[in-house]
Amino acid sequence: MALPNQQVVDYPSFKLVIVGDGGTGKTTFVKRHLTGEFEKKYEPTIGVEVHPLDFSTNCGKIRFYCWDTAGQEKFGGLRDGYYIHGQCAIIMFDVTSRLTYKNVPTWHRDLCRVCENIPIVLCGNKVDVKNRQVKAKQVTFHRKKNLQYYEISAKSNYNFEKPFLYLARKLAGDPNLHFVEAVALKPPEVQIDMAMQQQHEAELAAAAAQPLPDDDDDLIE
Amino acid sequence: MADKEPVVDRPEASHEEDDASAAAAAGEEEDTGAQVAPIVRLEEVAVTTGEEDEDVLLDMKAKLYRFDKDGNQWKERGTGTVKLLKHKETGKVRLVMRQAKTLKICANHLVASTTKMQEHAGSDKSCVWHAADFADGELKEEMFAIRFGSVENCKKFKDLIEEIAEALTKDEGKESDDTTTGLLEKLTVSENKSEAESAESAKEKESEADATPSE
Repeated sequence: MALPNQQVVDYPSFKLVIVGDGGTGKTTFVKRHLTGEFEKKYEPTIGVEVHPLDFSTNCGKIRFYCWDTAGQEKFGGLRDGYYIHGQCAIIMFDVTSRLTYKNVPTWHRDLCRVCENIPIVLCGNKVDVKNRQVKAKQVTFHRKKNLQYYEISAKSNYNFEKPFLYLARKLAGDPNLHFVEAVALKPPEVQIDMAMQQQHEAELAAAAAQPLPDDDDDLIE
Repeated sequence: MADKEPVVDRPEASHEEDDASAAAAAGEEEDTGAQVAPIVRLEEVAVTTGEEDEDVLLDMKAKLYRFDKDGNQWKERGTGTVKLLKHKETGKVRLVMRQAKTLKICANHLVASTTKMQEHAGSDKSCVWHAADFADGELKEEMFAIRFGSVENCKKFKDLIEEIAEALTKDEGKESDDTTTGLLEKLTVSENKSEAESAESAKEKESEADATPSE
């Protein structure tokens, strides 16, 4: 399911479609997995962005091509075109916004019109926020439509691996599939001359003066 | 099960808890999903970490950041475990950090004689350094910042890296004096050092275990 400009890999890959209202955190969630960063700034996705996400499992490496689609109607673009050949999906809503949950059935209907019988995970994002508008017990849609549900937080990483793990297990039909340590290849030796060394140290001194984002130490202890 | 879990302000589970919850997840988690036919058949494979020929000198929980030069800001890279690993034969030491739960690699580079740790202005639990990093399987010039749960852990990490870098600097000095004897000495030094250091890291692990309150 790779795009023409993407390299083809020699391990199993799946097209994953991510839908949901604008601002629910689809792009932030994908970026979190891609680079580790947590982007606070909201920039609506236009059309679709496709990102490959690799996971190491006890059954070898697998790849999800994440089709991160625009949530905002006006930036929607092709819609059905993005869903074609989708092999699994995530529907995202924001637990701090009732409207985004109310719109879940619409996203589900549109998705299922194109993709029949694919594993789907419903994700209630932003559960780290104190003022939730959609409580866990109010989330019932997944029971009616047979979806898996996870409460997640792209900010705190709560359950952030679960949607991918669930989908991988379903796609492989293996409930015992789990993530394992990715192989840490031997890093090559690098020669650094004095001039480079000095430049690095100067850059570093400047960087060290910049604050680190979110000093919440509870993430480590 | 997932519905009842307290989710607000939940700190990252400890490594031990991760393993437990991952194991529990397979059995206890309610699956409300539809029955779908699998589309691939995957065989179990032998898992290799790439760390098999190395001794662990240090293993601590931390949060890693990389500096985004374009945006002139630090960005999160991952939260998980940072390790210093010493190769059993070559004696080379590298830093490997993995993201919790997905176990992906956030950093992977050798500790060199030129590796210099600097303090971070805003936090005494953090330090910064420059590295040619190989986390993605290609060399990339990166500036990293790492933040630990305590000042002590940060100091342990920083001190050990500085110690390794200094030892390498000395070795390089010797080598340029007399290549043959330098190399020979290097071998002996690293042998002795390996023993001393693994003893030290074992001690460190003990004291770390003592100091870490059970959650």
